[in-house]
Amino acid sequence: MTWFNRLASPKFTLVVLGLLGAGVLLVYPGDVRSDWALTVPLALLAINLACAVATNPVFRQQSALLAFHLALLAIVVLAAAGRLTYLKGELELAEGEVFEGTLTRHESGPWHRSQLARARFANDGYTIRYEKGVRRAETRNTVRWLDDTGRERHAVIGDNEPLVRHGYRFYASFNKGFAPVFMWRPAGGAPLRGTINLPTYPIHEFRQALEWTIPGTQTTLWTMLQFDEVLLDPEQVSRFRLPQRHTLVIRIGDMRHELAPGARLALPQGVLVYERLGTWMGYTVFYDWTLPWLFVACMLAVTSLAWHFWKKFAAQPWDR
Amino acid sequence: MATELQLLWMALLLYTLAGSTAIGATVLATRFERVILAMILAGLAAHTLSLGLRWERLGHGPFITMFEILSSNVWSLLLIYAFAYWRAPAVRPAAAVVMPILLVMMAWLLVTSPAAGHYPPTYRTLWLYVHVLFGKIFLGAVLIAVGIAGLILLRRAGVRVARLTQLPDAGRLENLAFRFMALGFIFETLMLIAGAIWAQDAWGRYWAWDPLETWAFATWLALACFIHLRVTVRLEPHYSAALIIAVFVLAFLTFFGVPFVSTAPHKGAV
Repeated sequence: MTWFNRLASPKFTLVVLGLLGAGVLLVYPGDVRSDWALTVPLALLAINLACAVATNPVFRQQSALLAFHLALLAIVVLAAAGRLTYLKGELELAEGEVFEGTLTRHESGPWHRSQLARARFANDGYTIRYEKGVRRAETRNTVRWLDDTGRERHAVIGDNEPLVRHGYRFYASFNKGFAPVFMWRPAGGAPLRGTINLPTYPIHEFRQALEWTIPGTQTTLWTMLQFDEVLLDPEQVSRFRLPQRHTLVIRIGDMRHELAPGARLALPQGVLVYERLGTWMGYTVFYDWTLPWLFVACMLAVTSLAWHFWKKFAAQPWDR
Repeated sequence: MATELQLLWMALLLYTLAGSTAIGATVLATRFERVILAMILAGLAAHTLSLGLRWERLGHGPFITMFEILSSNVWSLLLIYAFAYWRAPAVRPAAAVVMPILLVMMAWLLVTSPAAGHYPPTYRTLWLYVHVLFGKIFLGAVLIAVGIAGLILLRRAGVRVARLTQLPDAGRLENLAFRFMALGFIFETLMLIAGAIWAQDAWGRYWAWDPLETWAFATWLALACFIHLRVTVRLEPHYSAALIIAVFVLAFLTFFGVPFVSTAPHKGAV
């Protein structure tokens, strides 16, 4: 038996499937990096499938079986291509802010060529309904972007509905919260508007504080949002909303200030104006160009296998 | 809620009677097949009403709590088995194996809380129904194969009750069981595809090796191995039967065991 025949043998298929099973069990507890535990068996499976299709005469006699094995081979190749070119990431946008292509965290395949800068869109705000017990129900996030012809487009995304831009799929996540909006007027410089995204609400309900540095300065501010209202009542159906009355506590060194919307804080390097309280939304982004092709290969695999079994079983009735 | 539970108990009582009759018929070699089918169908009618009333009351299907998952699976497994029972007389003696498995699930159902659970927003999609439908057909087909495999193993173990000796030879029984396993493989594959589409829209990834996905894939792999072995190696019927039961155990643990160990959002609420 030649090496080629050995690689094509059905017994080798069983060995490879066993290795794949072992790889899955190794990956499951999360102690082993998935790359090698799954890549090696899948590569061997691809070799086994290709050799079997090339040498086994049964595939020339049974076209449905051939289609099934070719589809399996295509799934393995597409999954590998997907891992080499995928992107998974996270971003946060304050209400009205435009996504310019910068992610707060991401991982990607070595061959991913980022087109994120083309996938610009703006967050136009959201509504989230909560059921009793502060259990999150529907999320509706309005987004806006310019299409390829320059026309402004709007969409509402949320649960099960991502925004798809240039192959990137943006999902509104459970990660969201309050974002105080500031205007910084540096002495002798151009004014700058910006937001700080306070920790996720309501998960971090009692930790609505953040330390940040004013742009272009060494001044570090500790900022805390303070309000007395119960925004999400566990006893009632409610909606995520801004508090009706709030103050922003700012601490710079030993100095403590309480700011209401519109208040100004004079600092040695300029004036900090607290304009208003807004919100921010966290998004996850996913890119994998192989998704539609994987779907086609999966459907081809399952229909060809069903066709193969149908022909095989139709020869003898089931009730005998 | 009281009417729902009363109807459910009525259904469980009818299923239990059908199961007891099936076992008695196997031991005594009597043919109460119509009576057994009639009791299962009457139980299914009461069970359907119970599930429908709960669906109407809560505004969502039986996909969330262990009570709902067990109840809907007992219903779907019996519906599929009843269909096979009616259309393929060869699977009728398998009731003596299938019904005790379902009785265990029913006993478990009786000790779970019928309280309502939270219906997550990501469950508001057509893909949930498609995924669940394929999953139920998969488990139903494998359960029928297990029933036939059980008959092969009982006879091999020397259980010589009258009805078992009247069955076709082990090779023919195993061939029938293999058909249901093949059917199960098709529907498990479809279940995984539908689940991946749903996961992509709901959680932004089609596959993440969460506990349920991992064990569902392990089950798919075990089923693929069984089918490959069965096609390429001439297996003795009792080995084949033992493998069928092993695959079912894995599938059962995936469906009903993983929700206990998983804290992921996708925690096995099929």
